[in-house]
Amino acid sequence: MPHDLLPMLREQVRRIEHPTATTHGVVPLGVAAIDRALPGGGLARGALHEIFGTAGDEEDGALAAAFAAGMLARLAAPADTIVLWCLARPDLYGPGLAAHGLDPARLVLVRAPRDAEILWAMEEGLRSRGVAAVVGEVGTLPDVASRRLQLAAERFGVTALLLRRWFNGGQAARERNLPNAAATRWRIATLPSRPIPIPPFPSRSMGFPMPPLRHPRASEGRGVAGTAAVALGSRWRAVEDGLVSQVEPGVGHPHWRVELLRCRGGAAGCWEVEVRGGKVREGKVADAADIVSLAATMADRSQAPVGSNVLASDTGSERIRRTG
Amino acid sequence: MSLRQTPGRKGSAAPAETAPFATVTDAGGQRLLAAVNPAAAAAGLAPDMPLADALSFVPALATAAAEPAKDAAALRRLAEWCGRYSPWTAPDATDGIKIEITGCAHLWGGEEPLAADLIARLTRQGIAARIAIAESLGAAWACARFTEPGARMLILPSAATRIALAPLPVAALRLDPATAQGLRRVGLKRIGDLYAMPRDALARRFGVAVAQRLDQALGDLPEPLSPLSETPARRVRLSFAEPIADPADLALATERLADDLATRLAREGAGARRLALDFHRVEGRVERIALGTARPSRDPHHLAALLKERLDTIDPGLGVEDMILAVFAIDPLRPEQLGFAGASPSAGSTGGGGVATLLDRLGNRFGLAAVSRLEARESHLPERASIKVSVSEPAASPVSRRDQGWRGNDGAKPPRPIRLFEPPEPIEAAWLLPDDPPFRFTWRRRAHRVRCADGPERIAAEWWRPDGSAVTPGKGLPHAHVEGANVEGANVEGANAIRDYYRVEDDEGRRFWLFRAGLPDDGQPLRWFVHGVFA
Repeated sequence: MPHDLLPMLREQVRRIEHPTATTHGVVPLGVAAIDRALPGGGLARGALHEIFGTAGDEEDGALAAAFAAGMLARLAAPADTIVLWCLARPDLYGPGLAAHGLDPARLVLVRAPRDAEILWAMEEGLRSRGVAAVVGEVGTLPDVASRRLQLAAERFGVTALLLRRWFNGGQAARERNLPNAAATRWRIATLPSRPIPIPPFPSRSMGFPMPPLRHPRASEGRGVAGTAAVALGSRWRAVEDGLVSQVEPGVGHPHWRVELLRCRGGAAGCWEVEVRGGKVREGKVADAADIVSLAATMADRSQAPVGSNVLASDTGSERIRRTG
Repeated sequence: MSLRQTPGRKGSAAPAETAPFATVTDAGGQRLLAAVNPAAAAAGLAPDMPLADALSFVPALATAAAEPAKDAAALRRLAEWCGRYSPWTAPDATDGIKIEITGCAHLWGGEEPLAADLIARLTRQGIAARIAIAESLGAAWACARFTEPGARMLILPSAATRIALAPLPVAALRLDPATAQGLRRVGLKRIGDLYAMPRDALARRFGVAVAQRLDQALGDLPEPLSPLSETPARRVRLSFAEPIADPADLALATERLADDLATRLAREGAGARRLALDFHRVEGRVERIALGTARPSRDPHHLAALLKERLDTIDPGLGVEDMILAVFAIDPLRPEQLGFAGASPSAGSTGGGGVATLLDRLGNRFGLAAVSRLEARESHLPERASIKVSVSEPAASPVSRRDQGWRGNDGAKPPRPIRLFEPPEPIEAAWLLPDDPPFRFTWRRRAHRVRCADGPERIAAEWWRPDGSAVTPGKGLPHAHVEGANVEGANVEGANAIRDYYRVEDDEGRRFWLFRAGLPDDGQPLRWFVHGVFA
């Protein structure tokens, strides 16, 4: 029947074009620009995704872990399933994971000394029922192992995240550009954080031009109440925005450059994001899983090659020009 | 039951049975015979005879150095192998094995078939043994060593102990040589001679040992046998008429044993926590697979899968004639429908293929301590606020678990890093004013220039704990495996120091959690550490 055949053929073509995106569905990352670049509008479930940091963070793996935690928080699996996290160095910190939206109570950590054993444990996790996702931190990744993981993830419909941690420059240089079977490959880099603007304080209208002692986000930037805030002079500066007259001292929100280096069935891309995880914002508690919100600045990969400064613009509008 | 073995050397170098042979030991410069074979004994040689004398009697005597450690190990292996007859076996001194067969003989059709089977198997292994079965350990010991040498097997009926022991020399009471000598000197040569003696007189003259040993031999005084290995709580066994060595057969037998065990445990409402599968090889060796489970389990498929995974570590040698699956620790496990197709995949489920199975597989490969959960604890010290607890420990009750511990960045608490280093790593830092964060620091030989910073957040040592800074496992966290709770660096460098934490960002935008140990006006040099990294 022709009118039955056509949708079927379309579906087949779609499967050939985006093999992983359609098998088990996708998870939107909640950042519109990134989701638009991913086939199917989100991160493919039941597939292998590779994440790593840059420079010193290639060893520490903090960015990769945070990005993975954000992805896992959005997987929205049944409550009684676990997330298996296989690692060699047990330095994962519960409160930090919680801050990025992942409930540490759902984690089961497996500590294995060697990469081969971590890969084995990951594969076991993928084959098991009751596992929502599997995370592994490995240095060396043989191509065969990555293919096995990808096949297992696809077959059992479990998402696998591979965090790469390289403990020396030689290993990093060897492994960084090796091809593997992961459906997507992400590189996360830190960017200097931007100052947090302070909203106009009510007392200002009374004519007291004093910096506020406490305001709704005091603890975010300054540590616990009663401790002194550290003011580095350069941070106290006005911004041109008419609504805001001052910026908060101290460290701003995490500011990342997220690079999608490889994406099966999609194109590569590069974005800048600012992370404002699970905190009080505009008077209501944000969803804890809403961890990555897009910064005002958008950069186009074709215009701003990797490593160059994509910070310059601070227009409020999204500029997205994608090629391919 | 006791067993007597004529010591001799096994192996390719063993001389013919008919040639006199002895092992020799060095005792204070004098070389003595340690053990002799039947041919040498027939020629009049005996243990403890000087080698020079022995050679003058039997010039053709072949000798070898005695190896007591190897003999003991071999005896221990043999005692383990005897575990096929009873779980209660132990080596006895240097030349015997004790086996408690109460309640086990019926499996072999009685005591006599059991003894006959044991003799036959030992003979096949080239071991000459004498077996005595008696009411008490003392009586069996005496009969195995001091009855006339013709019989290799002696079974004392329970009523005959007294009569049977009467003609034996007093040395058969397991007395030390001096005491036995003393008894003989006063004319008490046979055990029967002691029956009529008043106990208090015996005790006054020769010590309590004589009366005690006599009572033990007659069964008036209980004598517990401490077994070689831990006594299992439950045991199932499978014997093969023909020894098996094929991996497929071993796997099949493993499944059957797991089935049997599961049936038993289900009847009792229990689950296994720690088990061992012993393979008794034809040549008198025992191979073992030992494993533990994260949660009590009695799912036969799960247990069989765990055991079969390790089957390739077992060398069946010439063949396995017995397999014994023993459970050493059991926990109550409420009855539930097992193996139901739609069983909940929850962590608490015991159904096959679920999380419990996965955790057991991982735990048996990496050790149960390596498979852990993160648990929040009420503590100001960062390293104590999130601890790793082995999955084999029961989950903390909702009452003791304070969930707000995980709410890291909700605005009420300062942010926490995503990776925390244990121990904190020392850095070289440069700062201006006493309360300032560093403007530059060097960590892992890389210099970082601080662009902006938050802090300080002051965290003092928890003075109400005896050691101030390290969690003692077992205190407050009974039996919990606390990994990473030991803050070595902080312990050594400033156990009770006040820490001022700063969150700093460097030029590249990387964020670190630094702390300064000690107070600026303390007089002590200040030390800086990096405790974690933020994303």
